[in-house]
Amino acid sequence: MNGAKITAVKDGGSCASTQVGSPVMNKQVRGKSPSAVSRFFQKYNILPSILFFVFWELFSRVNETAKFFNPNFLPAPTVLLQEGWELAKTGIITDSLISSTIRIALGFVIGSVFAVGLGVIMSKFKTVERWFSPILNLVGPIPTLALLPLFIIWFGIGEFPKVLLIAWTTFIPVLVYTLDGFKSVPSTLIRSALSLGATERQIFTRVMLPSAIPNFLVGAQVSLGLSFSALIVSEMMGAKSGLGYIIVDARNYFKISNMFIAIILIGLEYSLFSYLLKLVEKRVMVWRKGGLRDAIEK
Amino acid sequence: MKLVVNQVGKSFGSRTILKNVDLTVHSHEFICILGHSGCGKSTLLNMIAGYLLPDEGSITVDGDEIKGPSKSRGMVFQDHALFPWMTIKDNIAFGPEVQKVPKAQAKEIAMEFLKLVGLEPYASHYPGELSGGMKQRVGIARALASKPDILLMDEPFGALDVLTRETMRVELQKICSQLKPTILFVTHSISEAVYLADRVVVMKHGEIAEIFEVGIKHPRSSHSAGFGEMMSRIERVLMDEEHLELAQAKVGS
Repeated sequence: MNGAKITAVKDGGSCASTQVGSPVMNKQVRGKSPSAVSRFFQKYNILPSILFFVFWELFSRVNETAKFFNPNFLPAPTVLLQEGWELAKTGIITDSLISSTIRIALGFVIGSVFAVGLGVIMSKFKTVERWFSPILNLVGPIPTLALLPLFIIWFGIGEFPKVLLIAWTTFIPVLVYTLDGFKSVPSTLIRSALSLGATERQIFTRVMLPSAIPNFLVGAQVSLGLSFSALIVSEMMGAKSGLGYIIVDARNYFKISNMFIAIILIGLEYSLFSYLLKLVEKRVMVWRKGGLRDAIEK
Repeated sequence: MKLVVNQVGKSFGSRTILKNVDLTVHSHEFICILGHSGCGKSTLLNMIAGYLLPDEGSITVDGDEIKGPSKSRGMVFQDHALFPWMTIKDNIAFGPEVQKVPKAQAKEIAMEFLKLVGLEPYASHYPGELSGGMKQRVGIARALASKPDILLMDEPFGALDVLTRETMRVELQKICSQLKPTILFVTHSISEAVYLADRVVVMKHGEIAEIFEVGIKHPRSSHSAGFGEMMSRIERVLMDEEHLELAQAKVGS
């Protein structure tokens, strides 16, 4: 991958110069070097996704005439685009995207903050850990979706139970991973900080916390997927907007295309959040080396 | 500064690691503690650093008993123990910074010590990008930047290859002649000990077997007068009698 990128950049350079330099470009760019198109696909790996939609389109179009099953069950992507545009004009898509984004962002941040906070306290005070970890072991494995009806009875159908459900879903994995991160700080790092004159507080903020960040990020990645299902399910029960709401609403009126639109939007939104998290990871973990990519050059 | 180890003993469970250890270290002395693995030399060093507390006896610095780690006793670890998320410069500036030296000044100190170990071009690199020898040089610079009264080194070159080890030895020797620090250096290499130390403390089975004064003038090399003799004298003490017999038998056959 890395190597491919490097050659792509090199070829890009030589190709650009030949384009400017002479019209006999075709002769100079030999069959060996990749064309502009294939270079583009080397850089952005979107070809599989494009093919996926192309096949879907073809299949749906064929199904419309061949009638393997009811064509309404699987609308073609182009139909979905049209329908999506119609739906967007009513404003429901923007509304739903905004309210879903706010819910997930809020719940995710609140859950993470509380998890890291409790993780800090638990790793600092043995008694707190002694009291909390059995309880967490008890309630942790309960699928949060099982709690949703209860939350609705307790807190109504407003924003609060939804955000709370997402926060709770985020909380447990982040806490577990962060705690593990605090526990696996190499003792020589703590020792050397002590011998350099660091106080207990400085050791916490300057050694334990940064050292646990990789673990925290893994926990965040894991819980992001779970939080998204919590988001969608909570929107399916008692909501007036949101991507989950579109799905339930579409089911009630048998608008299958709307269902697909919401499903695709959920996928896109998840990818966006996942990408943001990856960006954070890249920024925070510049010092990290390793993996196959660093093991051998290809 | 005067470090006194007085009748120190330590055991983990039923296993006695150290017993009746007596040692006095004066300012500007370079002392090597030499011994087989498991002889308790690292335990002794960890107790002087304050990570472990003695079961018996006492360890005092200028009359004050050691109760825990302190910035007056710097430590260099075998696995260098650099903070992987900090650049080299930040690693070295860590000591001064946590001791409330203003940030800009701490960075200046860091650069000064980077220069001392010859790694200025790598100031903004991360430890993961450096070779083993370079990392250990940073480890030494970081420990020195806090201006400790005594520098404790726990087999600092133990994880390095033979060639790098040789260079590091010369380099440490140079730093010593410049700064004249007090150093307690744990090693299991006899030549390293004879090359560096003013005194070599040989430990066996948790006790001090013998202390040698290495009276050879610096800079030393393996050709210095008395170098070979000192090495074989230490070797005789270090090797168990039976091992020695075995070695002789092998030579005989």
